[in-house]
Amino acid sequence: MSIIQVKELSKVYGEGNSTVTALNGIDLSVEQGQFVAVMGPSGCGKSTLLHLIGGLDRPTSGSVWIEGKDISVMKDDNLTELRRRRMGFVFQFFNLIPVLNAKENAALPLILDGVKPETAYARAAEWLERNQMGDRLNHRPDQLSGGQQQRVAIARALVADPVMLLADEPTGNLDSKSSDEIAGLLRHAVSDWGRTVLMVTHDPRIAAYADRIVFLKDGRVVDDTLLDAGNADNSRLLKEKVNLL
Amino acid sequence: MSVRYALLGLLKQQPRYGYELRAAFIALAGGVEAWEVKPAQIYTTLNRMVESGLVEKQLNESDGSDEKVVFSLTPSGEAEFAGWLGQGILDDPQQDPFYLKLMLSLELPDVDAGRLIQTQRATLYQELHRITTVRTSLDPHTELARILLMDKAIMHLEADLRWLDMIEARLEDVKKQPAPHAELRPRGRPARTA
Repeated sequence: MSIIQVKELSKVYGEGNSTVTALNGIDLSVEQGQFVAVMGPSGCGKSTLLHLIGGLDRPTSGSVWIEGKDISVMKDDNLTELRRRRMGFVFQFFNLIPVLNAKENAALPLILDGVKPETAYARAAEWLERNQMGDRLNHRPDQLSGGQQQRVAIARALVADPVMLLADEPTGNLDSKSSDEIAGLLRHAVSDWGRTVLMVTHDPRIAAYADRIVFLKDGRVVDDTLLDAGNADNSRLLKEKVNLL
Repeated sequence: MSVRYALLGLLKQQPRYGYELRAAFIALAGGVEAWEVKPAQIYTTLNRMVESGLVEKQLNESDGSDEKVVFSLTPSGEAEFAGWLGQGILDDPQQDPFYLKLMLSLELPDVDAGRLIQTQRATLYQELHRITTVRTSLDPHTELARILLMDKAIMHLEADLRWLDMIEARLEDVKKQPAPHAELRPRGRPARTA
């Protein structure tokens, strides 16, 4: 069973003469433990796709299935709970609460879910520790660099132990060194912490950290490539070179 | 071409045995994955430089194999090396195999340029992924030079990807323009066969 499945998904905005078709009948499957990048020119529908998968918006037609459940027909309450428990979100502009410190920001999803503050803060501290932010638990966002803020945001996204992370241009607001670090952290979340990551990006360098790239254009999938494809080919090339030594 | 100058540089450091030179070149260039060079190529280059007086071959009691001969730099060779150091170097990005593919696709009715672009894009991303994986495994405390080499590869791939986006955006316009004209000088008529 695919962890994310999208069937003939369409999203149309506006009415009459001013309709915009953001997504035009998309089919897509993501398996558990995959790191998928979604790319395409401005206006291709990639952010819309992410929002629909994350249940942050409803489709015009078609369906979105998360862990085998059709979320497009779910009631708001159930959808909110599913989102809070099974998904973690990472945004371009971090979206941290300025008056809360790192630990408090990271603990927020658990607090909102009714978890005891003690427990929530302990789990938040654990995730911040794993994200190399253990020595800045009491720092507020304005005392942190962009890369550090995004690490807090990723800890927040993981604190409820979700199966997947949905990231919308997670490095869009970072310099190239921090971008590489954050992309590496998302890679880590897949390879070492067993999550599934779906990431929208326009940056090829960052997309290269993924296992697979889905290319969108004008609301449609125009290509879908595995990045580690031809493992057999790769090992053949290597053997050839060894013989030449 | 640069192999020959790198050998001159390595010999400027100290005279070396033939077999040492190949290993030293590969280490210098960033490893076998970065720059593969066959032993024959090294020895051919060395011997040519011996003929042009840039390098000297010290004949010992070797069995005639270049591997066990000591090579050293001559004053001519040193001057040649200094000349190379003093000049800037340009690659030729205009000899581009993908460009040939693209221009052919415009002439052949059953070849889809859009598909070619997407195939090339996928290949570039696969290579970018491979290089990024290698780069991530390198230790910045001891392998920084190699990291810089990977960075160059990454930047070039990024540039190639941007170029593909550009071609894609202007493809329809390119298709409408006249094909490049082959210039033929007038010659006699081809001979008739009976």
